[in-house]
Amino acid sequence: MSFICPDGHSSATPDYCDQCGVPMIAREEDDDTSPATRQRPCPVCGEPRSGDDRFCERCGHDFTASPLAWEAIVTADRARFDRTARPDLAFPSDFEQRRFAVTGTEVWIGKGRPSGESPPEIDLSGPPEDPCVSRRHAVLLRQGDGTYALKDKRSTNGTFVNDSPVEDDALVPLAEGDRIQIGAWTTITLKTR
Amino acid sequence: MTTFTAAVYQNEYLPPDGSEVNAIVTVTSDVGGPDAGVGGRDAGAPASAPETAEIVIIDTSGSMAVPRRKIKAAREATSAAIDCIRDGVAFGVIAGTDRAQLIYPSSPELATATAATREEAKRWVRSLKAGGGTAIGSWLTLALGLFETVPGRVCHAILLTDGENQNETPQELDAVLARCEGRFQCDCRGVGTDWQVSELRRIASVLLGTVNIIPDPAEMADDFRLMIESAMSKATGSISLRLWTPQGAHVAFVRQVAPTIEELTDRAVEVNALTSDYPTGAWGRESRDYHLCIKVQPRGLGEEMLAGRVTLVEGDSVLGQDAKIRAIWTEDRQLSTRINREVAHYTGQAELAECIQEGLEARRAGDEANATFKLGRAVQLASESGNEGTMRLLRAVVDVEDASTGTVHLRRDVAEVDEMTLDTRSTKTVRVGRPA
Repeated sequence: MSFICPDGHSSATPDYCDQCGVPMIAREEDDDTSPATRQRPCPVCGEPRSGDDRFCERCGHDFTASPLAWEAIVTADRARFDRTARPDLAFPSDFEQRRFAVTGTEVWIGKGRPSGESPPEIDLSGPPEDPCVSRRHAVLLRQGDGTYALKDKRSTNGTFVNDSPVEDDALVPLAEGDRIQIGAWTTITLKTR
Repeated sequence: MTTFTAAVYQNEYLPPDGSEVNAIVTVTSDVGGPDAGVGGRDAGAPASAPETAEIVIIDTSGSMAVPRRKIKAAREATSAAIDCIRDGVAFGVIAGTDRAQLIYPSSPELATATAATREEAKRWVRSLKAGGGTAIGSWLTLALGLFETVPGRVCHAILLTDGENQNETPQELDAVLARCEGRFQCDCRGVGTDWQVSELRRIASVLLGTVNIIPDPAEMADDFRLMIESAMSKATGSISLRLWTPQGAHVAFVRQVAPTIEELTDRAVEVNALTSDYPTGAWGRESRDYHLCIKVQPRGLGEEMLAGRVTLVEGDSVLGQDAKIRAIWTEDRQLSTRINREVAHYTGQAELAECIQEGLEARRAGDEANATFKLGRAVQLASESGNEGTMRLLRAVVDVEDASTGTVHLRRDVAEVDEMTLDTRSTKTVRVGRPA
């Protein structure tokens, strides 16, 4: 059996990553019937789970359902742009919503491909392009309970989640509806499908 | 069945960007249940004790006849040792000069201990005469060949000498040691004052044994008996301390710090890129302390990292629970500047051994100022840590004016045997007093 650490390594040990030594947040999915995993809060809304209840008391999420399918919806946020962006930047007039499937242990957010590398899973390149997003801006890391957590990869202009800045190297757990805010206007909303 | 427990003593908090993680790991073996005697000496043969082999190597060079009671004491001590060898153990006796001679048994293999073979061996030992040179490498080579006739046994030897290795170059001895390393353990004893402490220490160190001085030949028999009994009480084969460290980490040192100081860093045998084994030999019912120093890549404030994972292994079987050495980065200086008591204690004990060896070296070289400084620091450290055994030995070499400041005067009338005793036993440590 293997476990995925917050830095995305595959580890044979469940307590600390056997590659980088960071503490494991949670176990891999194939083990999520264990008592420790069953007592985790609701992966959708974060409500603590009481006992062995099947459904979340707040949002009705079925804890026995198959692993969650997540997607990222990218929009341009006019209000934030007006509040925070540099005056020399223009807000895009025709931004079409973009959708990305969020799967796998590591989902990168960034822009285009530096020569030779594969592009990020959530690739924000292409017009209209947000000039303040880094090539490798942030990463979503799958946790043992099937949810994702975000890490800013020391991007030039930083990352916000629901308007709160993300500290360097901090791992921010995400839930349904959370907004990841980067660059001048880019907002990525996390949804379950 | 032998199981091991490992406990970690450390301050896991590091300042921002701090990279050095220190920890003391106390490893305790549990042999044959809680009723087995402390130190293994009173314990009966453990039910699952491995099969063992034992060789006594006696220096019979010409100097052993000066004075005559030295060779006489060696004969008596060897007989005493033979009496302690349990039935069924494969054993033999080697006499060493500038070549090695198998005294017992007569064929080039080991005998099986019974009442009859023990008596026969002792008859041969009584006939030992002194004469010839000293080539320790040839003695060890013969012992290695004999041990190879009994594969699968836990092998142990006692080596007694009274002089330095004259008929071999240090390189020849090194080559022999490299062949013997990991094949058998060897406790080394020097009698009189004509042997080299550093030479015997090196042999004992590579062969995972103890080294000691027998100042008076009359004490030899008791010492031999203790060594054999200790060897017979071992209940395991070769045990290694296995250390995992994370990517980007570097093992600064691994040092046994109790019951004696023993550097293990260079003995690392790589298991994989992140894991190494450090051989520790056979274990009886006992407890040993290790000081580990690991350099890691710092992580962010508030983050935690496993800096090391220690297990005890026999081959690739893990025996008992692991011990975790952790690192947590914090801005709280109250947390990060606290020095763990165990780490501080054993850092002092290691410095104590180093000061004694360097102080005696300086004294021999005629550098009195440096000798006074080093031995003074040793007195201060021995006094602070309550290492009374070492303090007593130091008092034979220096007059202590004020132990708390390390103010001492070199004594003029130092007996060579006192100096060598201090040198040999400088690595003996005391354990930190832990609240029960």
